[in-house]
Amino acid sequence: METIALITAFALILIGLFGILSNKNILKIIIGFSLFDTGLHVLIVTVGYIKGGTAPILDKVVGTSNAADKIVDPIPQALVLTAIVIGLGVTALMLAYALKLYQAKKSLNITDFKELKW
Amino acid sequence: MVNILSILTMNMISPINIIAVSLGIAFFMGLLGNKAQRTSYILLIAALLFNTIVSLQWLYGLANNLVEAQQIFTAGYKPPFSINLLMGLNEAVIASLINIVGLLGAIYMGSTLKKNGSGSQVVFLVLFMSLNVIVLSRDLFNIFVFLEVGSIAVAGLVILQKGVKAVSAGFKYMLATGIIAGIFLIGIIFIYRFTGSLNLDQIIQSNPAIKQGALISSFLILIAIILELKPFPANGWALDVYQAAHPGLSAILSSAVGTANLYVLYKFTGMAGDSLMHYISLIGIVTFVGSNLLGINQKKARRLLGYSSVGQIGLLIAIMGLLPHSNSNFKLIFFGILTSHYFAKAGLFWISGIIKAENIKEWSVLRKKPVLLFLFLSFILALLGFPPFPSFWGKWQLVMELSAQGQFAVIIAILVGSFFEVVYLMRWAGYSIKLEAGTLPEIKLSKYIPVILFGLGLYAVGYFVSQSVEFGNTINYLPLLVVAVLLVVDFLPAFVKNSLSILATGWFAYLLIPGQDTIKFIFTIIFLVGGILTLIPGFQIKGKREGFYPSAMLMFGGLALLIEASNLLQFFFAWEIMTIGSYFLIIRGKKSMPHALSYMLFSVGGAYLILLGFGMVSAGNSGLSLDLLSSIKVYPVLAMSLMAVGFMTKTASLGLHIWLPGAHGEAESDVSPMVSAILLKAGVFGLILLMLASGGEQNSYSGLFYVLGWIGALTALVGNLGAIFQEDAKRLLAYSSIGQLGYILFAFAIMTHMGWLTGLTYTINHFMFKAILFLAIGGIVMKLGTHNMYEMGGLIKKMPFSFIAVLIGIITLAGIPPLSGFGGKWLFYNAVIMKGWYFQGAVVFFAGTIAFLYLFKLIYSVFLGQLKDNHRNVKELSIWFLLPQYILIIGIMVFSAKPDLILKPIGNAIAMAFPSNQLTWEGTKALSTLGYWDATTIMVVIGGMFVVLLGWLMFMSRKAQKVEQFNMVYAAERPERPELTHVSHNIYAGYNKALGFLVAPGITNFWNYTTNLVESTGNFIRRIYSGNGQSYAIHLVSYIVIVFIIYLTAI
Repeated sequence: METIALITAFALILIGLFGILSNKNILKIIIGFSLFDTGLHVLIVTVGYIKGGTAPILDKVVGTSNAADKIVDPIPQALVLTAIVIGLGVTALMLAYALKLYQAKKSLNITDFKELKW
Repeated sequence: MVNILSILTMNMISPINIIAVSLGIAFFMGLLGNKAQRTSYILLIAALLFNTIVSLQWLYGLANNLVEAQQIFTAGYKPPFSINLLMGLNEAVIASLINIVGLLGAIYMGSTLKKNGSGSQVVFLVLFMSLNVIVLSRDLFNIFVFLEVGSIAVAGLVILQKGVKAVSAGFKYMLATGIIAGIFLIGIIFIYRFTGSLNLDQIIQSNPAIKQGALISSFLILIAIILELKPFPANGWALDVYQAAHPGLSAILSSAVGTANLYVLYKFTGMAGDSLMHYISLIGIVTFVGSNLLGINQKKARRLLGYSSVGQIGLLIAIMGLLPHSNSNFKLIFFGILTSHYFAKAGLFWISGIIKAENIKEWSVLRKKPVLLFLFLSFILALLGFPPFPSFWGKWQLVMELSAQGQFAVIIAILVGSFFEVVYLMRWAGYSIKLEAGTLPEIKLSKYIPVILFGLGLYAVGYFVSQSVEFGNTINYLPLLVVAVLLVVDFLPAFVKNSLSILATGWFAYLLIPGQDTIKFIFTIIFLVGGILTLIPGFQIKGKREGFYPSAMLMFGGLALLIEASNLLQFFFAWEIMTIGSYFLIIRGKKSMPHALSYMLFSVGGAYLILLGFGMVSAGNSGLSLDLLSSIKVYPVLAMSLMAVGFMTKTASLGLHIWLPGAHGEAESDVSPMVSAILLKAGVFGLILLMLASGGEQNSYSGLFYVLGWIGALTALVGNLGAIFQEDAKRLLAYSSIGQLGYILFAFAIMTHMGWLTGLTYTINHFMFKAILFLAIGGIVMKLGTHNMYEMGGLIKKMPFSFIAVLIGIITLAGIPPLSGFGGKWLFYNAVIMKGWYFQGAVVFFAGTIAFLYLFKLIYSVFLGQLKDNHRNVKELSIWFLLPQYILIIGIMVFSAKPDLILKPIGNAIAMAFPSNQLTWEGTKALSTLGYWDATTIMVVIGGMFVVLLGWLMFMSRKAQKVEQFNMVYAAERPERPELTHVSHNIYAGYNKALGFLVAPGITNFWNYTTNLVESTGNFIRRIYSGNGQSYAIHLVSYIVIVFIIYLTAI
């Protein structure tokens, strides 16, 4: 289970990265980022996973005394929420940029925006 | 004031309020909406002011030990269950720097922020909040979050600037920072996995460096932080933003964001092992050298500043990796270089927004606003590590520390990078001073004030750092105070400032002379009495002569400090001060811009060699006393050679001489004698210091001095040969200086008693006759408006006093009895014969005969022959030019008739180092082992002969018929123009055929070739910045992969 999750995570990260580096279309690049981020999120959750652990919520089954054995690590779960929010913010801003770029040149090809160089 | 502060420190405002207040105000501003622009702008300023006050309050409290560093645990839990912040002295310093630039930056960008409404203001505030958090936070993930928030905020602010350039730059920036953030996150999650904590201190305690997996995750984190700092060459995205964003934002990116990210790197280096530190220093150095190399060809001001920013931050990264953070001087060095970058870069970006000039050549508009020009030049000099700016002390201490560790290769790399930076920044400075000035846009006070405050801050912090650096408190700031006064009163007429400068120079001499040993006394006279004499002609100049006097006093002040120096730091400080002053003097000439740059480049190159040598001197020794020059422990011969070559850039020895003809020839009429008769002797002074310390007669550097002797001889030959082919009178004199300095170098390199007497006699003589000649010829050039000798002629009747002065000058130069030049020659032959340097001696002798040729040409073409039509109404030079000449003539006469007055004390002074074969004196008669010389008798005899012959000549020619200029009946010709009667153009054409190959510009070609090679390399590598954002992303990923592979192969 852990291994599969790890492989999935890295696969997503690499696919995302490949998408970012190889697509000329700005929207596709942004989609690449989404994949990249998703991979990262899966990775974070996987790292905090403890075999057979349950959700880190204290209830009848999981008390304060035996919590450490029963639940998965809560910190990565907290982190992933933050990471998702940040990812959302980045994606939104990138899309705003894509819109602005399109308005400027009626093109979404990244190679068309080379005014500044050297 | 102090009371208020101490009351404040009693009630420390918790740093968490920076976050709370910023967030609260940001939300409130959001609620205000876009209509209440003014209210929300006031709120923004209030929030930034609050942040500044809190951080400054902590800085004050912590620096004065009034409070202790505070740890803040959020939500009342200890880590790893909560995020914690730390406000210590380091954090207080960094946060203060960031918040100050935030406050001033918001004022600077006021109109843009108001125009774009509360949205942009919220983003601005959030940016500064996030910068504060990443400085204060001790939690890895927290730092990640706010790095991201900061990046998003920056990306948001980039589009405040209109136009597609800014938008595409912003998008490239987002691509890059997005990838970096991903790498960072992977590193964080694995470090958490291996250490069980996100708290930095706990992670460092668990020592991840020893665990293989954790090592790789700390590598990922570090590389991500380094990538945030824009390492070369994976930084195209950052350059675009620097160039395209609002200049106010670029200023913030370079100073505030750069500072914050550097501090993040500092925090993380604690968890890196030594092997990683090694890579950090390597990455830093590559960035520093590479980025500055690429900057050389950059013409767009803001992009150039981008290159420079990347370079400076690279240097700071390197320092982070090079020095152990426990090193007592680490913080000082880092702080010195960081603050210079911080003030200067923000200031320069701000100026770029004020004058709205994209091309660096348009920056000459700064001249319309002298204060702005002054600030601009201060910022440039600060970036280059000149005194009195903080980076000077930082760089000095850095070189000393690295020398102590024996890391000379690293020092060389850093100096090479610095040198590239000098090339483009000084070229830019030259443009701003010399090129045609356009029109300056109207300056808003809100944009002007931040620049002024940062300029003042730079000087204040420079003083502060100097007082903390070892031996920094031995620096004498008196000359700089004089310069400051002259800057303030620059609006006064020239004669007032001239009088002030003469008084100040006299005052320096008065302070220096008591208790001085003989050699230093001679140089004090040359530097300072010479200074007064060459300042006198300034009385002739009408108007204000803006900027002249601060520069001149910077040079003379530096020279005074040079004599006063008793330790290496004082000496280097004086050397640099003198260099800046002389640069600003030289560049004043009409066509001097390229020559001043080449002067600067050779001077800085020389200064770096001296610095490297000083590093070797200090390594293995304790203290910095100049006496250490005689006990060099590390590579003594190399150290000695480096310093000698360094000084020889100033004396313009062969190979390093190509800057001199242009710099001295094109300088203003009264500047040429200053730099030629006086400034060149600074190099001689340095060489003397070295050679005396080398042990005198019993030195262990005979090989080095043998080479120096040859260089001196060949310099004499090439300099004199160069002089005979000149048509430009001032260039002729300039080449002659090269030759004369060659004699001086040769004489000192003989390293015997007689050799040194010769050297010092030549030094004194050259000072006197070159000042006379340059004053006379310079005055004439100014009067006639031409440098070309073939356009002069027959001036003897119009300017008899100048003629006599020049005649005496060239008699002295040529070494014709009875004047003091002959004494020098007599000593010279003694020295050469006793030493047995016959070949070199023959070369110098040959050079001496060549000197006759150019001297004849000088006096013949200018004063004899036929007067030109347009000079019929020329008058004698003004008294202000003649007075110093005649004072110097008195000096020559005294030295010629009674040389024992000077040579006896010199002999006694050098007897310690050179005890054998001394010159003995019987009255006025000097006795060497080879013969004798009685200057007084020679003077009487030849003087008598002269009077008799002159009388005879006048008697014989009493009946001679006076004819008009064109009355030349003897040749059956009818000359109508003066030119037809006066062979003065190319009069040595025949010699040129025979010997011209010796002065073929081989050496100039060599330097040109080197320059071109550097420029084209930089240009070629620059092409990687193709402008494609995706390529930049690929650079980034490749950079990580390559560094990782290098790293893996090493562990």
